[in-house]
Amino acid sequence: MSQPLAYFFDSLYLIKPETSIIGFLVLILLYDLIFKKEKWLPYISLFGLVVTLFLIIEQYGYNKFAFQSSTNFGMMAIDPFGAFFKIIILLSSIIVILFSILSKELDVARDRMGEYYTLIFGMILGMFLMVSASDLILIYIAVELVSLSSFVLAGFLKNDSRSSEASLKYIIFGGVSSGIMLFGISILYGITGTTNLYEMNSLLQNFDSTNILMILTMILIFAGIGYKISAVPFHFWTPDVYEGAPVTITAYLSVASKAAGIVLLIRLIKSTFVSQKDTFGYWEMIPAFDWQGFLIIISILTMTIGNFSALWQSNVKRMLAYSSIAHAGYILAAIAVLSDQGLVGVMVYFIIYLLMNLGAFLIVIVIKNKINSEELEDYDGLGYRMPLVGVAFTIFLISLTGIPPTAGFIGKLYVFIALVDAKMLVLAVIMLLNSVVSLYYYVRILKHLYLNKPKAETTDIELSFSLKLFILVLAVPNIIFGLYFAPILEFVKTSLIILGI
Amino acid sequence: MIPIEYYLSLSAFMFIVGVVGVLTRRNAIIVFMSIELMLNSANLTLVAFSSYLGNPIGQIFVFFVMTVAAAEAAIGLAIIISLFRNKKTVNIDEINILKW
Amino acid sequence: MSLNFILFLIFAFIAATSAVLMITRKSAIIAALFLILNFAALSGLYLTLNAQFIAVVQVIVYAGAIMVLFLFVIMLLRPSDEQSIFDDNPKLKWLATFVGVLVFAQILAIIFIGRPSDGLTPDLQRSIEVGTIEAIGRELYTTYLIPFQSAAFLLLAATIGALILAKKKLED
Repeated sequence: MSQPLAYFFDSLYLIKPETSIIGFLVLILLYDLIFKKEKWLPYISLFGLVVTLFLIIEQYGYNKFAFQSSTNFGMMAIDPFGAFFKIIILLSSIIVILFSILSKELDVARDRMGEYYTLIFGMILGMFLMVSASDLILIYIAVELVSLSSFVLAGFLKNDSRSSEASLKYIIFGGVSSGIMLFGISILYGITGTTNLYEMNSLLQNFDSTNILMILTMILIFAGIGYKISAVPFHFWTPDVYEGAPVTITAYLSVASKAAGIVLLIRLIKSTFVSQKDTFGYWEMIPAFDWQGFLIIISILTMTIGNFSALWQSNVKRMLAYSSIAHAGYILAAIAVLSDQGLVGVMVYFIIYLLMNLGAFLIVIVIKNKINSEELEDYDGLGYRMPLVGVAFTIFLISLTGIPPTAGFIGKLYVFIALVDAKMLVLAVIMLLNSVVSLYYYVRILKHLYLNKPKAETTDIELSFSLKLFILVLAVPNIIFGLYFAPILEFVKTSLIILGI
Repeated sequence: MIPIEYYLSLSAFMFIVGVVGVLTRRNAIIVFMSIELMLNSANLTLVAFSSYLGNPIGQIFVFFVMTVAAAEAAIGLAIIISLFRNKKTVNIDEINILKW
Repeated sequence: MSLNFILFLIFAFIAATSAVLMITRKSAIIAALFLILNFAALSGLYLTLNAQFIAVVQVIVYAGAIMVLFLFVIMLLRPSDEQSIFDDNPKLKWLATFVGVLVFAQILAIIFIGRPSDGLTPDLQRSIEVGTIEAIGRELYTTYLIPFQSAAFLLLAATIGALILAKKKLED
């Protein structure tokens, strides 16, 4: 047996979570083909996700390469940092599958729910690979696997022309940005002669000045990543797709695929551009490309344009789309610090972002089920008709703004501390001002909920017990983590290890 | 051998033509064809470098890019068909319930 | 001038012109045919680079399979010739050309300033070796087995996706 093939079999135990996802993907597909009972599909999916969650926790401590080639660098890096984000992706998948059971919007598509869950599992597989991949070939395929599955999911309500239109815009933007990224990758391959990020790092060590080809390459590659995390100027698809796609998919895209994109960016920077001299605390960068300056500019643009465009939106989903662009800006600001402290900021922010953003989308789904609308005007007076929904929505929105005592405040606080410690005060102030702007449009929703007179009848709208419980499960941690956040910090600090050389 | 810059220039030219095609055409099918052109320009760069560096990774990459291009074309055309059923058009700017 | 260089010039000329003609034709079918010509020329260029396997696959997969799919959909939907965005405002055409040429010049400048050929010592024998099916197959099924498997799931997802989007509802 040739050597790399022996490595292949030796590494199989490192990809148990991916294998489990693949197994359940095939199981769901076959179950749907043979039995055609869509009722059990979400429960099989949930079971699969829980199994995968255990497999990830089991291999949490590993810090090594999987599928090594003859150069000792592998195709995938299995490390606690990756495991952390795989857990985030799994948690959001579990919540989104629960959303899918609840959402009435998907009722028209009940006969093809088997494909729906299969494609969600395809997306999860792609995101897992994106999180772990350390080779540009695997990265490209993983990005495309996530993209292709989400193009279809965005157009899943194909009889609704809004949904198909969202899907068309999504695939055109996706195709163009992955084409641009591929062109960048092809030049990067030419400069270094390899596609492995770690091997590239050892080749780049002797670059002592900026290289003009490298700048071109990185800007082109960032087009692909920026499109995934909807960073300005690659954000144009976001509002349309978020508005047109089914709410469940919108919620999923805004958390999980953004997380995968962020990890890809961090891994690209950390494993390719950090000098081997000193990687403790502040990262010593190879001067081939000025990541800090580049990320600061992108981050300021992203948060500012996101927040200001959100101000005059009348559709709640569209407003949340712009809000998610702004949040991507905050996260990019934390990455721009290029230090372990910034990384802590990113990871704390993501746990909390998962809770508050999915919570807000849950409320949108619940309201859409009851009044069949996402327009802000139709929300008038709903706070009194659905007291629990009103209170929970208030918590989520305050958390999204980042006001104590909610968890959102803690997320922003850690990003802020990292920025101040790195003496990046201008960026910190811009971020603060942006939070103030965002207060305006989040409070505008609250004004519609509580202060505006309802147009129609004022009967109370009843919610089922399980739904109430689900809302509480997402809302209560937003308060608890705002007051007692030591466990999050503890978890983040143990997951800070990124596989280095 | 021919200087590699010649191949790269041709590839950059095709890439720009592809981008211009995406930006200026209204017919969604032609937009997809322009995206294929962009992917092919990247393929040319990969093969050129692979051949000049004497390592097969670039050509393996091209192999995967072709797989992805086929998958993307299939999904893109399926989306166009599904949209055509609803709107009876493939022109992008007649598809405008959502703002661009 | 060597034969190789003459072949390069011919194929490069065909590829560049057919690309430009592709994005400027009104009819989708003619555009698709020019794209096929472009792909065929690229296949010739791959041969000048000694990439035999990729050259063959280019013709079979791209010109053969993918473009047939495009032509099939064009015939199926029969889209009317589009109103070009330049009809309302012909000056826009010059702006598009100008911006395109500008960006092209910029990338060209970067390529020639960056000189990626500096570190390269091309070896004819070696480049013939890496282009064979054996060399590519050996790497593909050992080192790149994981991307290969992932590509299989990409194709599965694409098949399912294309099916559910394009098929009519069962009730219809």
